[in-house]
Order: sequence, then structure tokens, then C-alpha cells
Amino acid sequence: MRKQMIISVMSKDRPGIIASITGAIYKLGGDVADLNQTVLCGYLTMILNASFEESVTKEDLHAAISHIKTNCKFEVSIKELASGDTLETSGPPEDTYILTVQGPNKGGIVHGISQFCFDHNINIFDLATTLKDGQYTMALQLDLKTCTCPIGELQQKLETYSAENDLTVMMQHNDIFQVTNEITLH
Amino acid sequence: MLRSDQILSTVEMIQKENLDVRTVTMGINLLDCRSGNIEETCKKIETKIITFAGNFVATCNEMSKKYGIPVVNKRISVTPIALVGAGFKKDDFILIAKTLDRAATKVGVDILGGFSAQVEKGMTETDREFIASVPEALAQTEKICASINIATTHKGINMDALAIMGQTVKDLAEMTADQGGFGAAKFVVFCNQPGDNPFMAGAIHGVEEAEAVLNVGVSGPGVIARALERLIAKHPEPGSLQFDELAEEIKQTTFRVTRCGELIGRAVSMSLGIEFGVVDLSLAPTPTIGDSVGEIFKILGVDSVGAPGSTAILAMLNDAVKKGGIFASKTVGGLSGAFIPVMEDAVLAEAVGDGSLTLEKLEAMTCVCSVGLDMIAIPGSVDADTIAAIIADEMALGVINSKTTAARLIPVPGKEVGDHVNFGGLFGASPIMPVNNVGKSSRFIAWGGRMPAPIHSFKN
Repeated sequence: MRKQMIISVMSKDRPGIIASITGAIYKLGGDVADLNQTVLCGYLTMILNASFEESVTKEDLHAAISHIKTNCKFEVSIKELASGDTLETSGPPEDTYILTVQGPNKGGIVHGISQFCFDHNINIFDLATTLKDGQYTMALQLDLKTCTCPIGELQQKLETYSAENDLTVMMQHNDIFQVTNEITLH
Repeated sequence: MLRSDQILSTVEMIQKENLDVRTVTMGINLLDCRSGNIEETCKKIETKIITFAGNFVATCNEMSKKYGIPVVNKRISVTPIALVGAGFKKDDFILIAKTLDRAATKVGVDILGGFSAQVEKGMTETDREFIASVPEALAQTEKICASINIATTHKGINMDALAIMGQTVKDLAEMTADQGGFGAAKFVVFCNQPGDNPFMAGAIHGVEEAEAVLNVGVSGPGVIARALERLIAKHPEPGSLQFDELAEEIKQTTFRVTRCGELIGRAVSMSLGIEFGVVDLSLAPTPTIGDSVGEIFKILGVDSVGAPGSTAILAMLNDAVKKGGIFASKTVGGLSGAFIPVMEDAVLAEAVGDGSLTLEKLEAMTCVCSVGLDMIAIPGSVDADTIAAIIADEMALGVINSKTTAARLIPVPGKEVGDHVNFGGLFGASPIMPVNNVGKSSRFIAWGGRMPAPIHSFKN
């Protein structure tokens, strides 16, 4: 049984960051599984999941990454998964919905929506926001499995929220977006 | 997660552009309901419909809520009733129509289709009794739609049935004169009628179909119109956008629209445990502003619907819709094309009013699209033989071109050119369309017999 570790890295973006980090993992006999990375305002952030022999420790991995020769400092955080922790399976669960929010930019939009989700025990899987020409746009991927109210009622509450906050808030099932944007029919 | 721009374009399609699933239609086979007498047969029909469709409307509403896409109509189609009621008389068929109407009301569907006969080659005694029952049956029921198939590419046209159709249309309109002849709007005459079409008034559950199936009709002319407008707005320079690029946009948009229909249809089918049939990817307009096929003609370059170029535009539109939809769906069927039902499309109705769209041009346009001369209000004074002859021309187009064509004409009692008729709701409104050469085709209709099936080689 190999040991699973979750590694998060943040750094000023430059060519070769992924090569450096995955190189350090490879030298320790690690095997990279899932990896996500994004660049925002010139900064790169990356989160990945890798497996190692039982003998490799968090400290070994920290040391290997800190020995990488680079001009920019890596901020690294490593968590070791306990043997009981299950790795997420691929594909979103049945109750995955996409929420979109559009409106003129103002303070507190992201907080307001995320608080709304929290108030209804909705988990946010993924969130992307953009600001263009004074218009703020958010797209959230939500898991409604543990939501505290039925879908019809939630849609009504979102309508009220839209009106009260001068935002256009829409929520549709994730499947709609998949079938209209992907070739494969699941 | 998908990119934000993909997400937002899908949201626009659903929320702002009238994307909906136009109809989910449950086809039910009723052949096993024939019993020794009419009372027992009616009882069996009602029981079977309620057994299969009892949860149908609630399930559609539930899926509509789950996916956030409206399912506008929930409908039922049944085995052509002339077959179900073999040996029955006219009055028995009227009782069956009333039974179907009652069952449709009990399960809460909008319309029930399949009060139908298929007589493309010959008529049985039952077929004649059945056809004789149609005007009264439709006048005395609310939710029942009737259709008669009088022609196919392989059998030609049944000219005896054709003559009766002209009179049937007249009788239907006159028996419902207090509603502007609305009865005729629930009756359609077909050539090459498909057995899996979910759209009314021509939906039937063909004898080749399984016990029960779900067919879905997707629409979305509004979505296509807005997609084209956006594409054109991005290319303001003359010559920077060509016709093939517009066709490609229609194809891609149809793909997305069709996918939504398929998703909802399969979800309803799985939930009810009823086989999924087909997606019919037709562009069916509604009288709602922004949900018009006529509007697409104007966007694509003619200033009036019916102006030269309109037939070519419709040919491209119909073909692009098929190409996008067929790739999107596992099983495509029904009519699948662009509809031009005049009363149901505000822009087409307006074109009739200003004289730019004539019956002759409409007939030409139906050569390249589905379905045919659809929802056309004509003067109440037009005689039965002239109506039969208009139907004959439309049937001939279908027979020769191996396609489905149909005619749904409404001779509005007491109204003439310059008047206006309004049925309300999805059936819409229109000025009365002029008919040229009225009363000059009676000798042709009087021949009877059959128009032979055409040769299937030497096509040119």
C-alpha cells in the first residue's frame, strides 16, 4: 500500500515550475496522479496528489522541493492522507449544479453567494470569477446532495436573492452544460 | 469545470432565448383494447391510457424542475383509431373520441393524437365509417387531434379519400363555426406520415412501434435567431461573413438544442420505465415574440418572408437543422426539419397580411422543409373541391420527393380576405390568406380512383 500525499505549491510564475516540482517527486520514487494548476496575476498555484513508498515522509518531500534551485520562492504545503481517507472518484455526483452570477462589480458579491451556499449547506466544488468592463461574472459548481431545501424552493430563494442584490443569478443542472458543450453523450 | 464562456452561452440559451423542450409525447399501443362491444373497448382504452400515463405529467414536471428547462407540452399519441376500432360504426368512433378525451383530461396531458386512419391505397368499410365520424368527434371533444394519411411514395395518392378530405375540412370548420372553424386546426392530411412524430396535430403511435415509447420534440427557433444575430453583429464589415458560415452556426446551435431535449427525454423515460423512442429536431415556432421561424428568414437576408430567395433560405435552414440534430442524438425520427405553420408564427402571419407570402410561394417552400401547408386560414367560401385540390398538390410534392408533407387548412366560416382569425394560445392568429382560382378543380377531384405510385428511378 503506497502512501498518498496532497501537495500544494504557490510561486511567482516562470517557465519550468511544474518540471521542477514533479522532478523532485520523481526522484523520491513518487507517482503523480491528479494535478490542477492555474495562473492569476502572474502567480501560479498548483495542487496535486502523488503516491510514495511507505518510507518517504512529508519532511523528505519538503526538503527535496526546498533544494530546487530557483530565483522565486516556493510556498509549499503537504498533507499526508490517512489510510481511511478515500480518493475522490472521477465525475461529478448526481446532484451537481452550475450557478452563474452576473452583475455590476461591487464589494461582497463572492462573499454573499458563498454565504448563501453555506446557509443552505451547499458545497462549492469549483468557482471561477472574472471582471470585465465593470461587469462581474461568477460560475460555481455546486453539490446539492446535502442542501437543506428542495430544488424548487432553492430556485425561488435564488430569484429573491437576484432581485434583492441587483444580480442575475441562474442555476441549472450540470448535465445540461455537459451535453451542450461536449461531443460525447454520457 | 467547463469554461465560463461555455457556461454563460448555455445559460443565455435557456433563460433568454426561449429554449424549451416543445413536447414530450408518450406513444401507447391500443390494439389490444378491441373488445366484443364498444362499451368494453372504451373501458379498456381508458384503463390502458391511465395505467401507462398516470404519472407522466408529474414526471415531466419533475424533470423540468430538476434541469431548469421547461417542457411546454405533455402529449399522448395512440395507435390509429381506425385500426383499433375495426368493424365499428361512425357513432362508435365518436364514443371512442370522447373516451380518449376523458382519459387525456384525467392524466392531465395537453393534447392526444392518433384519431387517425391510413388509407393511402384503399379504404375499408371501417375506414369510411371512421372518416365520417371525424367532424363530429373533433367538434365534441377538446383535446383530440385527428390525421389521415392518404398518400405515400410507394402507393401514390388515394383520390377517393382525397375528395372526402376536402369535405371533411369544410365540415370540421362549419361545425366549429362559433370558434372560427377551430375544429379544422385539429385535423391534418398527410403523405408519408411517420409513426413516431411527437408534434400535433399529426402524432400517431405507428403499428411498427413498441407497446409504449416516449418521443421528444425539441424546437428553439428563438435560440437559432439570437445565435445568428450575434454572429452577424461580430462581422460588421461587408463580405466578412458568408452563407456557409451562417449554416454552420445553425448546425452547431441545433446540436446544443437537441442535446437538451435528449437529456430530458431520456430522464423522463428512465424514471417512468418506458422505452425512449426518438428526438424530433424540428424548428417549431410559437406565436411568442422572438420564437419565430419567419424571423430567421429576415435575419438571413430577405426583407419580407416570401420574397425571392425564401425557398433557398429554407432549404439551407432545414438541412442545417438536420445535420446538427442528427449528430447530437442517438435516435432521430419523426419529422425533423423546419416548420412553417402560418398562424403559429407571428412573422409568417404578418407576411400573409402584407401580401408578401402567398399560398403558391408557401407551396414551393414546403418542397424543401417539413411539413407542408400548415395552419393556413383561408376564406370560408372556398369550396370543398378546391381544398381537396390544394391538398392534392401538397400530397404530390411528398409522393414525388419521398418526403413527409401535410396540409392543415382552415376555411374560416364567414370570413374573407381582409379579415383576421385568432385561436389564442399556441394555435395563434393570422389574416385570412387569399386563394386564387377557386372553383376550378372540381373535374379533377371528381375522377376518384388512385394516382399511381411514381417510378423510383430516372430521377431528375
